[in-house]
Amino acid sequence: MNDPDFITPLSLRSRRVLVTGAASGIGRAACELLSRLEARIVAVDIDEAALNGAVQGLAGEGHAQCCFDVGDVERIPGWMADVAQKGGPLFGVVHAAGLSCVQPLRLLSPAAYRKVLLLNTEAALALARGFHKKAVGDAAGGSIVFISSVMASAGAPGAAAYAMSKAALHGLTRSLAMELAPGKIRVNCVAPGFVRTPMFDRMSAPWDAAQLARVEEDHPLGLGAPADVANSIAFLLADTGRWITGSVLTVDGGYTAH
Amino acid sequence: MDDFYTKLAEILEVDRVAADDVLSEFEYWDSLTVLSVLAMLDSGYGVNLTAANLRELKQAGELAAVVESRKRK
Repeated sequence: MNDPDFITPLSLRSRRVLVTGAASGIGRAACELLSRLEARIVAVDIDEAALNGAVQGLAGEGHAQCCFDVGDVERIPGWMADVAQKGGPLFGVVHAAGLSCVQPLRLLSPAAYRKVLLLNTEAALALARGFHKKAVGDAAGGSIVFISSVMASAGAPGAAAYAMSKAALHGLTRSLAMELAPGKIRVNCVAPGFVRTPMFDRMSAPWDAAQLARVEEDHPLGLGAPADVANSIAFLLADTGRWITGSVLTVDGGYTAH
Repeated sequence: MDDFYTKLAEILEVDRVAADDVLSEFEYWDSLTVLSVLAMLDSGYGVNLTAANLRELKQAGELAAVVESRKRK
């Protein structure tokens, strides 16, 4: 039964993966799982103290960390070139950094929705641009995973800015998948339901028990954990997803099955 | 707390809010407005309330008093 030559297709041995939003929530869970799959992580976050803690918990070695604001989209390609020059080319990119926004339309200012678009969408595009540059992405090919949301396909009052930013990722995923396939770069997206993360805690802090119960009931399998989404990220990044590109993988405990 | 009343008026889309105005009687007082008010209290004053807390307060002045007593010093 045991084949000594068998290597699980989930293995990311020695592959270098850059993860944004690495200090908490889905990004942190992704870093932890990918490191256990033997990837070398470049953990990126704006919160340096939290990032230090996250990197200390990683398995294996050869990891790096960068305190960088991915909202600074103009600088992303140059910064990624620097990351690759210092530590070697990247096999993968996971864009888990993001900003939530719950505001009624009449209060939604251009400044507010542009900030959401900047972090959730424009940063994703800039990361793909940086990854595609010569000597940044691995010459043998690579894999990009964006984190979207069920809000991209299921509407909710007050979610216009967030939904717009995440729905745009779906179009971005498909177009980049077509454009980058000749270079053997795959581009996919994970669309989670509500996951118990610090972002969710901040968003749900004002809710009363009844509101929280309603959101939980909308997920037949209950609210998700960051590790549930990390599993899908690993699946798409690794060779388990080697024939998958341009897809949006829904990971939502049944939220959109209604 | 003039600043507080100005921000509240902005969210409720009225010219001004007075201390004895009843919150639930404003035209735009709905669940999303409540969330917007809670977000404003958190970002502007460091006061964290729940929707249930807010529903217990009848007049704008009662809310102002809570903010005054709990705001970041």
